[in-house]
Amino acid sequence: MAQYFLEQARVADFVAHLLASNTVYAPHRKGSRSYAFAKADDPAAVVLDYPRTLSSVKKFFLPPREVLLNFDLTLDAASVPPVEPGNAVFLGVHSYDLAAVRRLDFNFTTGNPERNYLARRDGARFIGVSYVPDKFHFAGSVGIDPYDMTGCDMFLTKHADGWIVDIPTGEGSELAAGFKLEAHDEPKPPRAHFTQHVFVPQARLGKVMEASYDHPVWNETADACLGCGTCNLVCPTCYCFNVQENVDIACTSGQRERSWDGCMLRGFTEVAGGEFFREKVAARQRHRVYRKFKYISDVTGQPWCVGCGRCTASCTAKISIVEIVNRLIRDSERDESILT
Amino acid sequence: MEQQIQQFGAGPRELYLPEMAVITEVRRLTELETLYTVELPGGRDLGHKPGQFVEVSLYGIGEAPFSISSSPTRRGSFELGIRRVGMLTDVLAGYAPGRKIGIRGPFGNGIDVSKFTGKDVLIIAGGIGLVPMRSLINYVLDRRDEFGRLIICYGSRSDSELLFPDELAAWEKDPRTEYHVTVDRGTEAWTGRTGVITTLLPGLALDLPNTVACICGPPVMYRFVVMALRGRGLPDQNVYMSLERRMKCGVGKCGHCQINNTYVCQDGPVYNLPDIAKLREAL
Repeated sequence: MAQYFLEQARVADFVAHLLASNTVYAPHRKGSRSYAFAKADDPAAVVLDYPRTLSSVKKFFLPPREVLLNFDLTLDAASVPPVEPGNAVFLGVHSYDLAAVRRLDFNFTTGNPERNYLARRDGARFIGVSYVPDKFHFAGSVGIDPYDMTGCDMFLTKHADGWIVDIPTGEGSELAAGFKLEAHDEPKPPRAHFTQHVFVPQARLGKVMEASYDHPVWNETADACLGCGTCNLVCPTCYCFNVQENVDIACTSGQRERSWDGCMLRGFTEVAGGEFFREKVAARQRHRVYRKFKYISDVTGQPWCVGCGRCTASCTAKISIVEIVNRLIRDSERDESILT
Repeated sequence: MEQQIQQFGAGPRELYLPEMAVITEVRRLTELETLYTVELPGGRDLGHKPGQFVEVSLYGIGEAPFSISSSPTRRGSFELGIRRVGMLTDVLAGYAPGRKIGIRGPFGNGIDVSKFTGKDVLIIAGGIGLVPMRSLINYVLDRRDEFGRLIICYGSRSDSELLFPDELAAWEKDPRTEYHVTVDRGTEAWTGRTGVITTLLPGLALDLPNTVACICGPPVMYRFVVMALRGRGLPDQNVYMSLERRMKCGVGKCGHCQINNTYVCQDGPVYNLPDIAKLREAL
C-alpha cells in the first residue's frame, strides 16, 4: 500500500482541509493534564499526540444523556425524536477505541438492533493515530496493536517530526483528495512496547475467570473500592444505561431520557420493594471484570476489554484491572488442572 | 464483527416507543394488589405466552416491567396484577377504567407450554408469584385435556393477603384441580394450613418422571423450594422457574437484569433449572 508523509507543521492545514467539507471530532486539551474528544473548530487546537482521552468516541454514538421520547401529558401521547445520522469524521482515534466501537456495534446490532445507536454510528469515518503506550495501556495483551488500522479510513503513524499516512479505504482517499501529501517509502518506526501486560490470552482467560468466582481478590478489591462507578463511565465498551422521566414545571410535557449507568453503582440491580441482586461491592467488582473477560467473551471469543487503561488511570482508589486479572491468572496457574 | 458494521441500513424497529392501551377494568384484590384489564387498540391480542411480561409506561412517572397475569387463551384483552410498592404503582392505583397506559412488549421467553403437554403440572407460587403463574394455570384450565394433573401449591404471608379469592375457591372445588394453600401466619379466621410453602411439598403424591414444576415467588423462596423438590426426587430438568430482576429496557440493552452471563429479559424470565443451577447469582 502506498504511504505518504504529513509533517507535524502541516497537521493544522490537514484538519482545516477536513473541516472544509466535514464535521470533525478530534482530541483537544482539557485542562492542564487531560484530553477529550470534541467537535473540531480551530484546526490548531487539535492534538494528535496524546496518551488517552477522558472518555472514548463512544459518547458520540451513545451520548451520556439522550432523549428517547418526548411526551405530551395533556394528550397522553409520546413521540420519538429524530436521530440525525452522525456522518462525521473521527480524527485521532487510537486503535483500542476503534476496537471498542466494533464491540459496541456487536452489542447494538445483535438481538434487537437499536436505531438510536446505529443512526448515530452511520456514516462515521475514522482516521486513526498511533500512540506510545504509557503506564496504563495494555491493549497489546488483548490483541490490539497501537498500529492496528482495522476500521480506519486513514491511519497516521507517529514518526520523527510528523506522521506516516496510510490510506486503506476509498473513503480515506476521498478524505485526502485535494490535500497534497508527499509519498513516503521509508519503513515504519520500531514498535513501541507496552509496560502493562495481562499474561494469558482470552482462550485461557475464560477458564481462569471460571475458576476465580470465589477468589479473595473480589473482597480485597471491595475493601478499597468506593463504588463510585467511574470505571464504568470511562470504559469505552460499557454501554449499560438507566432511563428517567423529566417533566416540565407546568406538568404538561416532558421527556423520557436515558443516561449512562454503571454496574458498580449500588442501585443498579435494585427492584421494587428494595431487593438488591448484587448488593456487595465484591460481587459488583467481579461482575465488572467478568463483563470484560468472560460473559460476552465466552460467546464472541474476544475480550470485551480493549486495554485502554482508563478504568485504572481514573480510579480514585487506584484499583488496577490488570493487577486483578494477573493475580487471578497467577493463583489459578498454581492449580495446573484448571488450565489443562 | 466486521460484517455487523455493513448491516446498518437494515432499518431496526423502534424499541422504546410504547403503544397506548386502555384500562377497561380495575379489580381490587387486596389492600396492596390490583388487577387491571388492559385493551390494546382495536381489541388486538397481545400475542403473549404465559410467563412473559410487558413494560408499562405512565408518561411523566416512568416505566416498569410487570408480568402478564392472564392466559393467552382469554382473548381480546390482558390482565396485569400489580402491587403498590413505588411511585409508578402508587399512581396506577388511582387509575379508573378508561385511563390510558403505555405498553411495550410482550418481552421475555415465557413458558414453552409444549414441554408441559401431557405432563402433570405442579405450580408452586409464593405471594405475588401467583400473578404470573395464574397465566399458566388458566392456560392449563382452558386446554385441560392437553395436560395431566394440575397441582397448585400457593403460599402467602397471611390469609388476608391471598390473591384472587374467587378463583382460589373455584380451584378448590374443581375435581380436576388439586389445590393446596398455606399461610405463614393466619388471622383468627384462618382454619387452613399454617407454615411456609415448602411444607406443602412432602405430602404430595407425585408421578415424578411425568411431573413438571413451575416456581415463582419472592427471591428467598427459590432455593428452599428447589431443595424440597430435589428431596422429593424430581429431576432438575423438570423444574422451571420465573425470576425477577430489574428489566428496565426489556430488549437486552440496558444491562440491569443480568444474572451472570444471562439477560433475564431475553433468556428469561422463565428458566429451566439445569440452565441456571450453575449461575451463582441466580438463586
